[in-house]
Amino acid sequence: MKILDICDLSVTFSTPVGDVFAVNNTSFSLNENETLALVGETGCGKSVIANSIIRLLPQNAKVTGSILFKGIDLLKVSESELEKIRQQEISIIFQNPSLSLNPLYTVGSQIIEPLIIHKKMSKQNSIDKAIQLLKTMGFSNPSKAYGMYPYQLSGGMNQRILLSIAMTLNPSIIIADEPTKGLDNELVRDIIDEFNTVKRVNNSSIILITHDLSVARELSDRIAIMYSGEIIEIGETKKFFKKPLHPYSQALLNSLPEKGFIAPNGTSPSMINVPRGCKFHPRCPYKKQECSKKIPLFYSYDDRSVRCYLFQ
Amino acid sequence: MLSISVIVDHISKSYGYGIFNKKYECILNDLCLKLDRGKTIGLLGPSGVGKTTLAKIMMGLETPTSGKIFINNIDIWDSKKEERSKALKKIQMLFQDTQGSLNPKKTIAKSLYETAILVGVKISDIDSKILEFLDIVGLSPDILCRYPHQISGGQNQRVALARILLLNPEYIILDEPTSALDIAVQAQIIQLLRNLQIKRNLGYLLISHNIPLIEFMASHIIYLDKGSVVFSGSTNKFREFYLNKEK
Repeated sequence: MKILDICDLSVTFSTPVGDVFAVNNTSFSLNENETLALVGETGCGKSVIANSIIRLLPQNAKVTGSILFKGIDLLKVSESELEKIRQQEISIIFQNPSLSLNPLYTVGSQIIEPLIIHKKMSKQNSIDKAIQLLKTMGFSNPSKAYGMYPYQLSGGMNQRILLSIAMTLNPSIIIADEPTKGLDNELVRDIIDEFNTVKRVNNSSIILITHDLSVARELSDRIAIMYSGEIIEIGETKKFFKKPLHPYSQALLNSLPEKGFIAPNGTSPSMINVPRGCKFHPRCPYKKQECSKKIPLFYSYDDRSVRCYLFQ
Repeated sequence: MLSISVIVDHISKSYGYGIFNKKYECILNDLCLKLDRGKTIGLLGPSGVGKTTLAKIMMGLETPTSGKIFINNIDIWDSKKEERSKALKKIQMLFQDTQGSLNPKKTIAKSLYETAILVGVKISDIDSKILEFLDIVGLSPDILCRYPHQISGGQNQRVALARILLLNPEYIILDEPTSALDIAVQAQIIQLLRNLQIKRNLGYLLISHNIPLIEFMASHIIYLDKGSVVFSGSTNKFREFYLNKEK
């Protein structure tokens, strides 16, 4: 059953050098208890989608389309209604764990804050719950960790604290924005394990934003590949890794170490002077005449959707 | 010990901390390695194990507590200033933080121009030289008027590489050169580094957490733990060592 339904979402930023088309006519849905990975290069619009869902975009952003959460359009609800939805229903974990936590407060006090504000829990009960959460998140001495400041913990530990904060109110959706960025291999392994714990304990749906294909492969049920502000392929993760459909998806998988780091040609296009037609056509080895004229629609193939004329 | 290579000879490094009861922590312990031209050595190990400290010592940016560094037979801590400076120019470093390694207040053109002046390129030849090196790293000239924050991470890394190549190095220390880049851009930079190595006979010391990358690039791998070498051998043998370690 769909818990989130994004329809024709477009986000444009007005800047002195021109309008930046960050997200263009993007539609996708998230089902209950599902993990959907949004994968793509830096600057392709993944984080903009995440911030649009909880309306945390800067003032120069122009947003159109609809974001239906349990039937309510998040782009239309009042700020006070949205405040209840944020954290209680939809929780977000931002990039850079060390900067996302307040350096002046202990991590424990940051975990209990939402419990006291949203659930009106007593301080003692919220402390007990926080310690329990820290234990679930793999801290061997949760009471000690509770009283520590973010600078006393490693990047991986801070990421687990953020996960604990996100889990405090059992939200329906957790949005994790690049949860493994900048972490070394062993910490990435730890974070993957913690996410599996979240999935098991909370039954939350997760939107996992990442550019790390191995993390997406391990954690997600479905995967959506983004290129230059558009989703170009969406479908079951296992099928995607077995046979990527879109030429860009194929190029992405060929860049993996096991394929010998075969690099795609060229670079991503500017988000201001966007190419006409398919955004990938200047780099595409299979481009046809129509690719540079009109943006392809989504075509169904093997229970997946792909935005490419090859599958027309 | 006469050879054309970089030799790390029994290097140790300790840092002191505390004011009254000064204590010393050993970061690197009796480390030896030999980096030849045209070869890649992979340096692996957990965070904080001393990989970047070793790189800084090899670059002459930090003094070792004991041991010696030879660059093409010149002991960089026991030689005349001119000789030392000449030897140190042979070894350059490509950093992880692509944007941070370029001056944010200077355009790409200015950053490259300064380097060209430094290596003694004639003023009349500078423009053509810069364009030549931009072409080598696969960048178009329109990037010259931009600032580091106006270009992508991959482009910044290519500019940093062009700047290093202007100095005509024989050895490059690559400190996590692709960890801040997307997978597709990462592959482009790796292919570029491999091509440059073949064309210019460069010796690489590749520092990374990325085991598949090290296995792809390096012919010899060194694994550091707690400041000491726990594995040093061929890439084939490394897999066996790592699998046993994981158990």
